[in-house]
Amino acid sequence: MTDILLFRDIDEPGLATIDVYERRGGYQALRTALKTDPAELIETLKGSGLRGRGGAGFPMGLKASFIPQGDMQKYVVVNADESEPGTFKDRELMQKNPHQLIEGVIIAAYAVGATKSFIYIRGEYEEQADILDAAVQEAYAKGYLGENVAGSGVELSLHVQRGAGAYICGEETGLLDSLEGRRGNPRLKPPFPANAGLFQGPTLINNVETLSALPHIVELGAETYSAIGVANSSGTKLISISGNVQRPGNYEIELGMSSRDIIYGLAGGPPEGREVKFWFPGGSSSPVLTADDLDVGYDFDSIAKAGSMLGSGAIIVVDDSQSVVDVCLKLAHFYAHESCGKCTPCREGTNWTEKMLGRVKDGTATPMDLDIMASVQQRIIGNCLCVLGDAMAMPVSSMIAKFRGEFEAHIEAARAAADRAAVGVAG
Amino acid sequence: MSDVQRFEHGSRVPGWDDAADLTKDPAVIPDPQTTPVPAELRTQIEAEMARYPAGRERAATIPALWAVQRHYGWCTPEGIVQAACVLEMTPAELIAVATFYDMFETRPVGRNTVYVCTNISCSLCGADELLAALRDEIGEDPDVNLRGFECLGACDIAPMASVNGAYIGPISLDEVPELARQIREGAEPLPAKRLVLRPSADPKVSASTPEDA
Amino acid sequence: MPRPVAQMVTFTLNGQEVTAPENAILADAALEHGNVEIPVFCYEPKIGGPVGACRMCLVEIEGIPKLQAGCSVPVKDGMVVHTDTPRVREAQEAVLEFILVNHPLDCPVCDKGGECPLQDKSFGWGDGISRFVEPKRHFEKPLALSPLIAIDRERCILCYRCVRFSQEVSEDHQLVLQERGAHAFVATFDGHPYVAPFSGNIIELCPVGALTSQPYRFRARPWDIEQSGSICTLCPAQCNVSFTVRDDRVLRVLQRDHEGVDDGWLCDKGRFAYQAIHVDERITQPLLRDGGELRPVTWELALETAAAALGRGRGRTAALAGGAATNEEGWLLQGLLRDSLDSADIDSRAGGTLPLDLHQALGAPALQASVPDLEFAHAVLVLGTEPVDDAPVLDLRLRKGVRRHGLQLFTATSRPSALDERAVLAVRYAPGAEAAFVAALDAALTGADVAGPAAAAGADADAVRALADGLRAAGEDIVVLWGERVCSGAAGADAARGLLNVAARLGLEGRDGAGLLGVPDGANGRGLREVGVLPNAAPGLAAPDTDGRDAAGIAAALAAGELTGVYLLRTDPLVDLADTPLWERALEKATTVIAHASFLTPGIAEHATVVFPAESHAEKEGTVVHPDGRLQRLRPAIGRQGETRPEWQVLAELRRALGNDERLLTCSMVTARMLESIPFYAGLTLDTIGADGTRWTERPQGAAAPAGAAAPFDLPAPAPAASPNGRLRLGTFRSIWASPEVGASPALKFLHPRQRVELAPGDAERLGVRHGSPVTVACDGRSVTGIAHVRASAPEGSVFLETAIAADSAAELDGPLVEVRPA
Repeated sequence: MTDILLFRDIDEPGLATIDVYERRGGYQALRTALKTDPAELIETLKGSGLRGRGGAGFPMGLKASFIPQGDMQKYVVVNADESEPGTFKDRELMQKNPHQLIEGVIIAAYAVGATKSFIYIRGEYEEQADILDAAVQEAYAKGYLGENVAGSGVELSLHVQRGAGAYICGEETGLLDSLEGRRGNPRLKPPFPANAGLFQGPTLINNVETLSALPHIVELGAETYSAIGVANSSGTKLISISGNVQRPGNYEIELGMSSRDIIYGLAGGPPEGREVKFWFPGGSSSPVLTADDLDVGYDFDSIAKAGSMLGSGAIIVVDDSQSVVDVCLKLAHFYAHESCGKCTPCREGTNWTEKMLGRVKDGTATPMDLDIMASVQQRIIGNCLCVLGDAMAMPVSSMIAKFRGEFEAHIEAARAAADRAAVGVAG
Repeated sequence: MSDVQRFEHGSRVPGWDDAADLTKDPAVIPDPQTTPVPAELRTQIEAEMARYPAGRERAATIPALWAVQRHYGWCTPEGIVQAACVLEMTPAELIAVATFYDMFETRPVGRNTVYVCTNISCSLCGADELLAALRDEIGEDPDVNLRGFECLGACDIAPMASVNGAYIGPISLDEVPELARQIREGAEPLPAKRLVLRPSADPKVSASTPEDA
Repeated sequence: MPRPVAQMVTFTLNGQEVTAPENAILADAALEHGNVEIPVFCYEPKIGGPVGACRMCLVEIEGIPKLQAGCSVPVKDGMVVHTDTPRVREAQEAVLEFILVNHPLDCPVCDKGGECPLQDKSFGWGDGISRFVEPKRHFEKPLALSPLIAIDRERCILCYRCVRFSQEVSEDHQLVLQERGAHAFVATFDGHPYVAPFSGNIIELCPVGALTSQPYRFRARPWDIEQSGSICTLCPAQCNVSFTVRDDRVLRVLQRDHEGVDDGWLCDKGRFAYQAIHVDERITQPLLRDGGELRPVTWELALETAAAALGRGRGRTAALAGGAATNEEGWLLQGLLRDSLDSADIDSRAGGTLPLDLHQALGAPALQASVPDLEFAHAVLVLGTEPVDDAPVLDLRLRKGVRRHGLQLFTATSRPSALDERAVLAVRYAPGAEAAFVAALDAALTGADVAGPAAAAGADADAVRALADGLRAAGEDIVVLWGERVCSGAAGADAARGLLNVAARLGLEGRDGAGLLGVPDGANGRGLREVGVLPNAAPGLAAPDTDGRDAAGIAAALAAGELTGVYLLRTDPLVDLADTPLWERALEKATTVIAHASFLTPGIAEHATVVFPAESHAEKEGTVVHPDGRLQRLRPAIGRQGETRPEWQVLAELRRALGNDERLLTCSMVTARMLESIPFYAGLTLDTIGADGTRWTERPQGAAAPAGAAAPFDLPAPAPAASPNGRLRLGTFRSIWASPEVGASPALKFLHPRQRVELAPGDAERLGVRHGSPVTVACDGRSVTGIAHVRASAPEGSVFLETAIAADSAAELDGPLVEVRPA
């Protein structure tokens, strides 16, 4: 089956060990890659049409081709700081098939000429970090890492670095600062990591899922891989479905299938008797879509056309028993809590939005506050140093726009309840 | 509402209202001669420093803070000074990093760390009630550091918790007393609900996995 | 690295063509070349590159869909920029609205009010209303960040300037941001105060009223005050400053950015020691010793008494000038002594006589590096000086060079330097072994035997070779920043010859961007030498009719009764000079001790017979010479306090009383005479010196300077270092805080040093000395006590003590070897 690549054999006992992984054909793609010219390998990656799986969807091969030639120290960094609410696919990949990722890292490092690599994994994933550590040790012992990778004469070190709890470290430059031992504040771009990344050296930084796809691309070839999925969204994608669905979890799909088939077909839809009220198609930072959008194809372009984004491929389903106000406040609180504080619009805008939503929640707001809130979101979008501010402003904007009536009704009801409480009227 | 302990005082984070103690000396890079460092801590930090290119050893600040937290239970001022001494940095540079990250504790806490995810997906599935119930059940136990936490990346087992790093879920409210007891007694929490034992949700995966493996 | 040369390009700014250097930051280029202000908060080029944090400077650039931060976009040819479109306006209003969300707007009670960039930006770019109705955050305020700085965290807009200064300019790394997001705040570690030599700069950097000066708080509003530009003469760095004056009192000192001198920074001594101007302890009227006591008298009586005493002591009177004396005062003093008192015994250096031709050679224009050269050189060798103590602001310049321009820094000192951490190589030698060390370096540069002189210097021969190789490999633009102590003492002349040899071997002469930069002990040490305050030099470094005694010789002659009087122009030998015991005998024996002083330091209090009140640097008029040859002009910011009269006038009156009838009515007349008398200053006037000063060494007339001795010299084999035999070699240092002004300033007093005895862990253990405990340091029956300071970086075999402090100064001890024991 072509639509199972990354999750192939995923539940096989012992897959996390190098013996089982090798028995399943693991590290064969690496041997193939090492026989290929790095430039040709980058062409293969470009030709595969693989787009970054972390959230931004930037073509991976193109990114790799930006790494300058030359004998300066280059790095590959794996973004394993999976923190976007609703997203948990990298966790399963690392936990169950760490060698697939390591193989991908080695292929990428060989392609761009990097000799040092790091996996930056979020601190909360302690179990997965332990598994990765063990797998890295195995790969060193078997000669896939070290001074002579698989006998090719190529050198590569790989180290697993654990974060300590900060969403912003999923932003690639924030991650690099954190990896360098600083506060994880995003950097001003340019320069981009491809030119001045880790320790100011050229750095290829990719998400776990992206790099885990590399062995399969090498194995299948660019043409076969790019034939999977639809135009501009090639390959398989792991999606994480959670929230009000009956079978939450990770699913490997061919991009382009209908969203309804994912939410209802794979995940079983909302609990008995409930309907989809709205859903986040690509993690909590994507503008919400409603039940009307369920037939949109799940691929980069179609979701964008529907007014949202595929992001990290995490679908959060909210059913009709839930209050949009609660979800919105939860979301704003999260981003206010995670704003690094470096740039003004994000730091103050997320904080202000959370306060306004608090007033909506307790009934001390007025409908005019909804206008102010909407305007504040517009004042955040596009004005920040990184995308965290936009990541709150876009979904909040979409919720206010699509559920304004419910917000107003909530304000009205909450105020009435507060008034009653104030004059001591029961119920 | 998500409830993260460090911000329990509203916006009045400890530190905002503190003046400098003018009787103290400025906190410069600690002199190794006058800063004894426990051998175990020094060894761990130096091993971490060795992983980075020469001249980039300060990249080991986060592993060094982990080492301090393991050693003392939280990032004590004393431990930070010791790490700063080994790293040849000022302690201020370390506290700047420590306070940025949610998992570093800069005040004394219980050694058993329990994070309950209260982000969107989990709260849609009752995480706030879970946290409240667990808090009631555990009460004021000085050995337990119970915190509501932002998305832990396990929305598939919502509502869930991380107990000393082990993910468990979905946790129903009836399991709370048992979980609280296990946390208090240091027993393995809800062994049947361990995330690491959970098979993939994807039906195609089981089809692709040979029976004889 | 040498300065890059930028090409000019043309870009369009709001429809107007603007020409600016390529890759200049848009915000800078727009203001400097297009007269358009792009508002900024976090951007401050003095601190470093852009961070893009505040987002105040968003502008529209055609071809780029998103608004761009004007603080981080380099100007390119053909770029089309708009700063006044509705979209840009909206973004600027948005950012200001966000900034003010949590700002308390307590301008009426804020010290920054009226000179606040946030007020200005809100007025210029804000929309005047806020839609934020939630309660703002409230915190305790103000809080002490240090004894000098108060912090108001409500007002902070988190622009990062102060913490970046601490990380990237002063590199003390004490001030950081803690927590995250809207909870982030500026703080130190665990409540420690932010005390560092340059901490006060963050007050000026703060674009709001979050960081304020404790001594200045609530003393004045911007409309109550005037700013008056002058020069700080508390050290040889001679930073350009602006005095804030209200009601004839100095209330504050601000930087007056001069790229060629200070780069816009001040040390805390320069910033806060103004308080000493207005303290009660200051001497503000003439004093006369009467029955053992100093008593206030009229000017007439004081001048009459002084003139009479000098007249009686004709031929038997010496003079010493302290570093803070101006060129005019030094010139008048040497005239008074040489012409009116028939004496040649005059000195301004503490370290003994150097042959005149060496003074000439060391100061030769072709060999002088400038301050900016420290930043742009390929390599700088810091030799025998600790910049942060001796000329603080140069420490920042060197750090900037390393950080921003790839400068390779080398340090060669006996005491560990604060700059070692930034140096590619730090070499140690034994205290007092400068001549031997320089000889070793010279040998290494010529390929001769290094081992001999290195052993004599107590230095590692391989390290000396590595230093020579490192300097040669770094490039051609090399600056040697050397301290006056290098060319001091018995072997001072050999050291000077060695230094000139090193300069010759490295080809520094006549090369732009390379050369020597000598840091004198005194603020105007260079100027005083050039105007003839040396025993063997007349004005213009010309040979005098007769050579006189140097400072040590004067002490000996006074003690022996060969001299009977001494004129102390702003110096107290018991504080400023070595060998306190000898000076005590000398001053005791002297019948006439005439002093210009601001404070009753021990030598003045005990021994002066006539005391004239000295002017503070805010009251003084005249000129000084920066170590790099820049003549700078002092302008009085306030009237002279109490009955203080100009010191030049006192000297001029004494000159007249002793028979010189030239009429010198104003300071500018003295300046003119002084400038005329020196060939290499020819053509200079107060106007040409101007507000920015003038490097005489760069003017064609500078060629008139006497060339002096020509390198290379044959150096004698250095004398081997004394055998320790259980004792330690005595090294001394003078802390930045060791000055009477620091002791007298209420805000700075806490920094005024007491003796601390620095030694290596091994020595401490051997001698049973514990860190922090009192120790006695003894030599030849004399001893001082201090607190042991065991430093891991201190070299074995040496002990370092402070000089220039009132009690327990290292000047009490003779050395070179001392015994150290627990007290």
